Amino acid sequence: MSKGARAGLVIVAFAAAIGIILFGVFGYLRTSPPVVSAVPAATQPNTVNVTMQVDGAVGVGPHPTWVGYWIQGANGQYKQTTLFKVPVNTYVHVKLYEYDSGGPIRNPYWGKEIGTAGNVIIVNGQPVSLVNSYAGNGVAHNFDVPGLGVNVALPGVNGNAKNFCNVGPCNPSEAHNLIQFTFYSGKIVHNYRWQCFVPCGLGYLTGNGGPMTSIGYMAGFVQVVK
Amino acid sequence: MAIDMSQSTGVGQSGGAGGSTAVKWFARGNIVSATVLGAGGWFFGHWWGNVIAGQYTSVQNSGTNDVSWLLGAIFATVAWFIGLGALNHPIAKLWGGEAPLPEKKEKYSIWEYFSYSTDHKVVGIQYLFAMLMYFFVAGLLALGIRTELLSPTYHIWGPDTYIEIVGEHGTMMMMMMTSVIMGPFGNFLVPLMIGSKKMAFPRLEAVSFWFTVPAFFFLLSALWQGGFQSGWTGYAPLSIQGGVGQDAYLFSFALMAMSMLAASTNMVATIINYRAPGMRWSRLSVLAWGMITTAFTMILSVPVLIDGLYVMGMDRAVQTSMLYGQHGGSPFLWENLFWFFGHPEVYLLALPGFAMTTEILPVFARKPIFAFKTSVAGMIGVATLSFFVWQHHLFNSGMNPDMRPLFMLSTELISIPTGFLYLVGMGTVWRGRLRFNVPMLFMLSVFFNFLWGGITGVYNSDVPVDALIHGSFFVMAHFHFTIMGQLMFAVFGAIYYYTPLFFGIKLSEKLGKIHFWTMFIFFNSTFLPLFIVGWLGQPRRVFEYAARLQTLNQWVSISAYGLGLSLAFFVVTFVWQLVVSRPKSEQNPWDSRGLEWLVGIPVPKDNFEQIPVVLSSPYEYGNPNAGPMADLAPSISSVGSDA
Repeated sequence: MSKGARAGLVIVAFAAAIGIILFGVFGYLRTSPPVVSAVPAATQPNTVNVTMQVDGAVGVGPHPTWVGYWIQGANGQYKQTTLFKVPVNTYVHVKLYEYDSGGPIRNPYWGKEIGTAGNVIIVNGQPVSLVNSYAGNGVAHNFDVPGLGVNVALPGVNGNAKNFCNVGPCNPSEAHNLIQFTFYSGKIVHNYRWQCFVPCGLGYLTGNGGPMTSIGYMAGFVQVVK
Repeated sequence: MAIDMSQSTGVGQSGGAGGSTAVKWFARGNIVSATVLGAGGWFFGHWWGNVIAGQYTSVQNSGTNDVSWLLGAIFATVAWFIGLGALNHPIAKLWGGEAPLPEKKEKYSIWEYFSYSTDHKVVGIQYLFAMLMYFFVAGLLALGIRTELLSPTYHIWGPDTYIEIVGEHGTMMMMMMTSVIMGPFGNFLVPLMIGSKKMAFPRLEAVSFWFTVPAFFFLLSALWQGGFQSGWTGYAPLSIQGGVGQDAYLFSFALMAMSMLAASTNMVATIINYRAPGMRWSRLSVLAWGMITTAFTMILSVPVLIDGLYVMGMDRAVQTSMLYGQHGGSPFLWENLFWFFGHPEVYLLALPGFAMTTEILPVFARKPIFAFKTSVAGMIGVATLSFFVWQHHLFNSGMNPDMRPLFMLSTELISIPTGFLYLVGMGTVWRGRLRFNVPMLFMLSVFFNFLWGGITGVYNSDVPVDALIHGSFFVMAHFHFTIMGQLMFAVFGAIYYYTPLFFGIKLSEKLGKIHFWTMFIFFNSTFLPLFIVGWLGQPRRVFEYAARLQTLNQWVSISAYGLGLSLAFFVVTFVWQLVVSRPKSEQNPWDSRGLEWLVGIPVPKDNFEQIPVVLSSPYEYGNPNAGPMADLAPSISSVGSDA
């Protein structure tokens, strides 16, 4: 093989290697669920609304047996994601439809509503400051943003309900709890990690694998932007 | 000693039976047939696993079937070796046949490097490229880590992807480091250094290499399967609750462990039994001493790792609870099994690095090795003590507090034989007529880098200090200095030094010095600030950190890019010189006395026409009365007189 041919071969090989690396980074590692932006209305500059739902293992996406959060986009369609963007110095009104059943939590402290306006949440129209997970339908999941001091325990629905949701995204005609609360996004631009602290990785040891460690299911970010 | 005095290597490359040329080619085995059969094995095992375990409650709930993944991997690996032709010989023997002799060739074809070769020189070069592939892929992952850490708030990766990258980087590097000297340099050089035509078990040697290829791809595949959140240490319960990426971790690590066992068994047998007449232990090269001490350490520690990985696999696949406390098992079992391998492993990374350094230093200092026996004693001392330190990794894990002083003491003790090795190096260059060629620069930098890693290691071993810095970037900086700063600098020096022997080319001094200085500066600029970052409290494996540490982290990340560019420069210039410009090397370009250089360039296929008789030490530099190290064409009487 001539020197020129060898040089060409080496250049092609390097180009192929760079192509593979770029594909690996941008085709896989950099992929993430979509980000939903919450934009304030012109009349209420320091307030945004975020609508979410939490589904049980209802057979959608690459992991059909995982529980997960969905967030409603600007067009009213739900997206399976845990990433949403809110402005800084803003009150975030969250309307959350809880479609999953609940149970006792290992640490009763996580049943306390903290960091929301008045340290309460509104469950089906009733104010609640503490969810006793050993009574009623227990706690299904929670929504925790440690960086903002937010802990919201989400009461579960009756697992034996006749119209229990089977396919995500669920809709309000199916058994659910409507939970509303407000939290403050703070004055600092930051990506705040949030996480469900109720181990709900069904099939994983102590419930702590799978959806619990995955963005798009039970972990996500509140992106506080200017 | 038992020596193969025959002219031929007598090593079979198994051939197929009758049939067409294509069938013979396929039956003889090669990487194409191995890949085809391996893929078939994967699909068969995966399907079978789904049949067996698809109805398990845990599988139905999680959607993750560890049984099918592991069966797929097992069948893929067996089929891979069938495809390579690894089983042709034993099957032929079982049927009463004999393995055919290898084809004699004057020149290696490129194809030979992709085949199940039993030639130790081919295996050495296969290992070199495979280990460099491990290193550079894992290095790219390190750049991914540093990119994320440019900012405490803006994230390039998700937290799950970040920990996948960290685990993948660590495991790939640790797997590679175990074999990066023994694989390429041990296999290629040891037979030449001891005056043998081959390794003791050439098929075992080939097997050891070909384990590393599926291990690499299985490990890499974890990135596409959710990774393994446990990191390279694989602690339970993280390792049990992880997804199938954790199966990729345990299976690839097990393959690498079997590779280590095969390579080290072969190395011990070769060095003990295949030394040429006159090759006394006192004339054995330091590199060979390093190989045999490392190999013994591997033989004693690696089976424990395999056992631990088996236990982990059983817990994951068939729901045993050996590592799960709530069902009667214990996560401490894994920690002890893992670190009983893991800490000797740290030293079996360091020993070959020191051996290589001590091997090359006298060539460029033009002096004999200072205190050769002390150097050997240091290696044996490190190897022995390395089995008595593993619990210093558990100081903060709830171990029996009464055991802490013992392991603190044993860990501090190991700095004594390590100090032997360090001082032997210093003594060797003291008042030498130093030549600052590229290999020498790399070897000298080993001592600078190791000083940081070694001294901080003494602090780490103290329980009170360890309680403060455990799990921080301080520890991370420490082991990067001892492993990358020592071992990888020795490896790059060795590449520059042995390229004439391996490939018949001599790499450019000018380009090599650019590579060295940039790598040395950026390496230290990357890892020295991490001691401070760790001291200030930044934990490992966490993708967010305190905003006050951003400047230091940015400095480190930018330095890491510089280090990456330096290594990319090496890759480009190395490949270019190897494939395109091919600067021919003269015979024995470094004027070494070593037996490996006396055979000439290129190295003859059988190494030696006759088994040589060794007459003196390889390190008699500066001794005007020293004759040649060996007689390469001994008469029968001279063989008899020494043996």
